[in-house]
Amino acid sequence: MSIDVTGISKRYGDFVALEDINLTLPTGQLTALLGPSGGGKTTLLRIIAGLETPDSGSVVIEGTDATRLPVQKRNVGFVFQHYAAFKHMSVARNVAFGLEIRKTPRADIKRRVDELLALVHLSQFADRLPAQLSGGQRQRMALARALAVQPTVLLLDEPFGALDAKVRKELRDWLRRLHDEMHVTTVFVTHDQEEALEVSDEIVVVNDGRVEQVGSPDQLYDAPASDFVMRFLGDVTTLGGHAIRPHDIDVQVTPQVAGAAEGTVARVLRVGFEVRLTVHTLDGEEVLVQLTRTHARSLRLEEGATVWLSPAEGATVMPRAAALSGSS
Amino acid sequence: MSVSEDVARRAPARRTATHDLTRTSGIGLGVTMIWFSLLVLVPLAAVVATAAAGGLGGFWSAISNEQTAAAIKLTVLSAFAVTVVNIVVGTTISWVLVRDGFPGKKLLELVIDIPFALPTIVAGLVLVSLYGNDSPLGLHVANTEYSVFLAFLFVTLPFVVRTVQPVLEQLDPEIEEAAASLGASRLTTFRRVVLPALVPAIAAGAALSFARAVGEYGSLVLLSGNLPFRSEVTSVRILAAIENDNRSSAAAIATLLLLISLAVIVLLDVVQRRVARRG
Repeated sequence: MSIDVTGISKRYGDFVALEDINLTLPTGQLTALLGPSGGGKTTLLRIIAGLETPDSGSVVIEGTDATRLPVQKRNVGFVFQHYAAFKHMSVARNVAFGLEIRKTPRADIKRRVDELLALVHLSQFADRLPAQLSGGQRQRMALARALAVQPTVLLLDEPFGALDAKVRKELRDWLRRLHDEMHVTTVFVTHDQEEALEVSDEIVVVNDGRVEQVGSPDQLYDAPASDFVMRFLGDVTTLGGHAIRPHDIDVQVTPQVAGAAEGTVARVLRVGFEVRLTVHTLDGEEVLVQLTRTHARSLRLEEGATVWLSPAEGATVMPRAAALSGSS
Repeated sequence: MSVSEDVARRAPARRTATHDLTRTSGIGLGVTMIWFSLLVLVPLAAVVATAAAGGLGGFWSAISNEQTAAAIKLTVLSAFAVTVVNIVVGTTISWVLVRDGFPGKKLLELVIDIPFALPTIVAGLVLVSLYGNDSPLGLHVANTEYSVFLAFLFVTLPFVVRTVQPVLEQLDPEIEEAAASLGASRLTTFRRVVLPALVPAIAAGAALSFARAVGEYGSLVLLSGNLPFRSEVTSVRILAAIENDNRSSAAAIATLLLLISLAVIVLLDVVQRRVARRG
């Protein structure tokens, strides 16, 4: 039981939004569709919801072929980036909407709405209009509204994209906790790799209308299947012609490891707990290195110092052609 | 979500009785009031005063004159009918203009305003040449009560379309998708989510078209033939009263029209508020 996407393709005129997507999203998991804007992840989410029709392929939700089902019949909860609140209805009426459509008895609606508003911490705002809520509160209302109909799948399209950084982080933690309580199969779209790494059980990296890689956050970070995935999930630099993460590089002030690259520290940048070095090696590479403040201090690193760089133990290193231009 | 934010949100922006106008907004308000008084309030007051000069008896005898009463009835009923038609058709047209793409859409956008932009007497000529006694369509509505309805329909066409269109353009399609994802059919979505958002605009357009119809003169005089008890409208009666040097009677009829229009505008506002709230 799961969401099975098979052979989905979608074009808009000449533009290929999705090409032959095959994907299985297991039941009860929180999955992130991660990728750059215009990569097709929102289109994929909207196809799963039934808000968009694929040119070919099929969508099976919990064993039911939903490809031809209209959105009304799919029993999905959908949360939009800009809340899509019903502006003329109170918060409680917004949440009750789906239940009223389903002709649920009045008393049941009231009980369920009260429960959900308590769940999203909006009980005291039940009679307000959406315009009287902050962005974060509106998005929680939208979430309660989607959950009210007890959807088989909860789909969220950049749910925190319109919120400021602090509220974003709060809601992110809160979504994770909510999911741990409810266990409803959840798919959310994001272009923020930190968000995906922090919240999800599984990440699907979508780029250019194709799936680049599927895996747990750790798998993706530690064993990226491609250059693109490696670069999308975190900072990347080059050492000895290999792609490597700046915090995966060991710095020594004396030559200790065979094959370590010798270089000069060209720049030291201190950002909070972190120190960023720019090192020019004898091979003519410009290497970025990240280390902690304490580590940098113990090595007495300053501009002009000579250092030896080597990949740290367990580092993710990816051989690559010299094509890594513009990485920083 | 913080406490202070909540307090700030809860506290309504309450104005004290004393004004808090800046110099510029004070001048602005002054200009507005003078302008409004000179152009609207003073003339209206003059009409009402003239009507009142004859006393209640004079007022009553002016409007209960059989021919006048028939004209008032025809005008108000036709204006009502036209307003109802405009609410439905105008909303539909604006929907088509906003939501559908079709060849000639730009042209249609332009044509919609013609009844509004045309001098009314030209509109009258157009109507006569189409529906008059030499009608190329074989439709003879000239000199009938329907001619009044037709002329009203022609000149009030753009009002609802033009008030609803911008609101519909602003309406976020995601709201309809949200309703659909919650299981609402297209009809339910329209009724419960789209319509409440449009109702204020529809009501404004309806009020405009009713008011315009009640006072219409130029576009219908040629087609209607102004036959007493049949196709004569109130504005024609007012003109006749003035031509007979019966100013107080003209003012009485005018005052009644004023009251009817006011009542309709208030009624539409009440209806609009209720529908918009109910959802």
